[in-house]
Amino acid sequence: MNLNIYLVGVGGQGILTIGEILSSAAMEKDLPVFFYPSKGMAQRGGFVKAQLQIGKKNVGPNIIEKGSDIVFAMETSEALKAVRFAKPGGTFLLLANFWAPTDVILGKASYPELDKVIGEIQKSGAKLVLISDKDLPEYEGKKVADNIFMLGAAMKHSVLNKLFDSADIDRIVQNRWKRASASNHFAFQAGMDYQPQLIAGE
Amino acid sequence: MKKLITGNEAIAYGALAAGIKVACGYPGTPSTGAIASLLTMDLPNTHVEWSTNEKVAFDLASGVAWAGHRVLCTMKMSGVNVAYDSIISTAYSGCDGGFVIYVADDPGTNAGMCEQDSRGFALMSDMPMLEPASIEEAISLTTYAFELSEAIKGPVFVRLTTPLANGFASVEIPEPAPVSQADALLIHDINRFTKAGAVICMTQHRDLIKRLAHAGELIEQKGLNRLDLGKKKGGLGIVASGVTVQYIEEALAVADKYGIDREKISVLGLRASIPTPKQQLSQLIDFCDKILVLEELEPHIERDVYILARKRGYAGQIIGKIDGTFDRVGEYGTKHVLIGLNKALSLNIPESEYKSDTTAEELAAARPITVCSGCPHRGTYMAINRAIRKLKLKKQDVIVNGDIGCTILGMNPPFNTVWNEISMGASIGLAQGFAYAGVKTPVLATIGDSTFFHGGIPSLINAIQHEANIVLIIMDNEWTAMTGMQINPGTPCDRHEKPYKHVDIARIVPALGVEHFWQINPFDQDHATDVIAEAMQLPGVKVILSRQECAIQAFRKGSKEGKKKIVRVVEENCNLCKLCISVTGCSALVPGEKVMTIDPALCRQCGMCVSVCNRNAMVMEDVK
Repeated sequence: MNLNIYLVGVGGQGILTIGEILSSAAMEKDLPVFFYPSKGMAQRGGFVKAQLQIGKKNVGPNIIEKGSDIVFAMETSEALKAVRFAKPGGTFLLLANFWAPTDVILGKASYPELDKVIGEIQKSGAKLVLISDKDLPEYEGKKVADNIFMLGAAMKHSVLNKLFDSADIDRIVQNRWKRASASNHFAFQAGMDYQPQLIAGE
Repeated sequence: MKKLITGNEAIAYGALAAGIKVACGYPGTPSTGAIASLLTMDLPNTHVEWSTNEKVAFDLASGVAWAGHRVLCTMKMSGVNVAYDSIISTAYSGCDGGFVIYVADDPGTNAGMCEQDSRGFALMSDMPMLEPASIEEAISLTTYAFELSEAIKGPVFVRLTTPLANGFASVEIPEPAPVSQADALLIHDINRFTKAGAVICMTQHRDLIKRLAHAGELIEQKGLNRLDLGKKKGGLGIVASGVTVQYIEEALAVADKYGIDREKISVLGLRASIPTPKQQLSQLIDFCDKILVLEELEPHIERDVYILARKRGYAGQIIGKIDGTFDRVGEYGTKHVLIGLNKALSLNIPESEYKSDTTAEELAAARPITVCSGCPHRGTYMAINRAIRKLKLKKQDVIVNGDIGCTILGMNPPFNTVWNEISMGASIGLAQGFAYAGVKTPVLATIGDSTFFHGGIPSLINAIQHEANIVLIIMDNEWTAMTGMQINPGTPCDRHEKPYKHVDIARIVPALGVEHFWQINPFDQDHATDVIAEAMQLPGVKVILSRQECAIQAFRKGSKEGKKKIVRVVEENCNLCKLCISVTGCSALVPGEKVMTIDPALCRQCGMCVSVCNRNAMVMEDVK
């Protein structure tokens, strides 16, 4: 089975980590992997994207437009940059975080309305799974890692579960950060159990 | 053993499998990962270093190769410009030890700088250039490049582009080869190793041309370039090089839906773009009615196709850049192959298969690149802006010449401080030029520490000698930061893993004879502003060293020691005027409902918001 995954967000959110975890999971199963993260120049707060292709031996690093089975978007405005890469019938997970650029905070530039972003995603023909940042649970008084939570939600709502066992992903996540293994296990499971704000286009 | 590695790491492993004695280079996205990965390995018999600049690295590498040993030298495409004076000269001389120059180009400019095609440089100096199409091939072709270099007795380029340089694939890692312990050669031969005299140079030029022809024969014997002729004659011949080869199959799969006849498709996939394989290209031209050339940036291969077509009396269509089908700007993907197939075979593929619909992303908020929270450069830009105001000058009348690296980020809001950028070290010469052109207001230049070592020092010496009226601000964050934290000569010794000698900019500048020299802390805004304003009023060369460690590195060091300070919002004083954000643009400042709040995960306690607030609503406190 081939799987194309497109990831967008801003630097510092842990969007690349999702790609790394899924790359490790694919390697464990001895599946061919091509993972192409691109950070641009900003160390923190700049646009970040990554493309992950699993199951094909020789691939071009850039996923064809309308070719991503799963899109992970961790920032509302940046999600728009992934819309043309979503496959009709695929899954588009949007974690509706807002990382407003300075000019937006100062009222000098506009920021797209969430409804508008949702509309654009739906036009792509992909199933939208909307995760509100307010729905993220706490573990021992601290908000869980949103990227791990989102990965759990993807396990439940996308074809990711056709390729991977949730137990395997859970184990990779726990082994990656030994000190946070309990909270990440909790985050991943909570993501799996989460009832999204909206599932549209099914 | 299988591992998930980048193309940059693949270059490193390929070189280790060739038993390199030395690896050197200068950091530059997207090439940085090759030397960076070697520096993390335990290699007792291989010397690995970040050199001061690409030319220094290349000269050093030439010495290794002339002494008969294997050497890898790495750089981004802009680095080739810096090293090229030496590259072409060494190419003329040839070498005895295997000499591989790894260059990473960036079609589509993921990281800034000119979108140049380094193949042009290889052409100009008749050097072979290998272009792996995958990360796996980046290993094997790098190892082979050393053999090729020794066989032709000349240096060889290996070229990747960004997606392969920074992309990861799961590949088998080869065993490193033992490093040769043979005695260094000392060949005293002025006919080979000098350029003094027409006979010497022209003989070397002839030898160079022969070496490239010989490389072409060896590459053909090795079967590096793969020609798959279709079952039927008279169809379409596709020529592609490097990573572009990988998009062909995916495009053909799409084209299948529109009735493509696969038996009439022939493909020549190049792994050595220079020299172009004349024999295989001729075969393709003779076999096919139409030729489609897929190469990013410049139409180098395509031009050779035209020449061969003319020589062979070929009358068919050639689809590429020269006929206007493709652009010389940007990177290629599957859609480019589809456009070519559609045009060549009149397939009636609908536009929706290859035309980008960008309506969604056009709605996205602009996100200009800026400095990190806690970045010391923020303090320097703010102090420059304050100094201009203090002298009652207008910002549009005071030119601040910029340079490469993180220091250029001051070009963007909210600072809008830096005006321009050419190349490593260029800000100083630019400033001198503006002064000579008769600019009446003070002329400033900014430069980073690594950039100063790389290319700034000769320019500063020139400005000093000619007593130019300029203010140079060296923004020293003690790291080569933008490329991902490499060390440079100014990085303090206790921050190194290996023993090096520290070279202190604070000692270099006065030693050059600069009379007006100050050192400032960019986080001490009042002092920094006063010094810059004073410097702007004095004649001659003024140099200000603005020194504070990169916030990311300082945080990594500091988080081990524990947080000592905290910035607190005094809620009764804050009226949410957002002055702090509009001056500092710091991402740690988050407007709350009634007052400003500070994101503790982002705040680095630089105190810039504290210095800006005119209502005493921000205070820096010791952690109890």
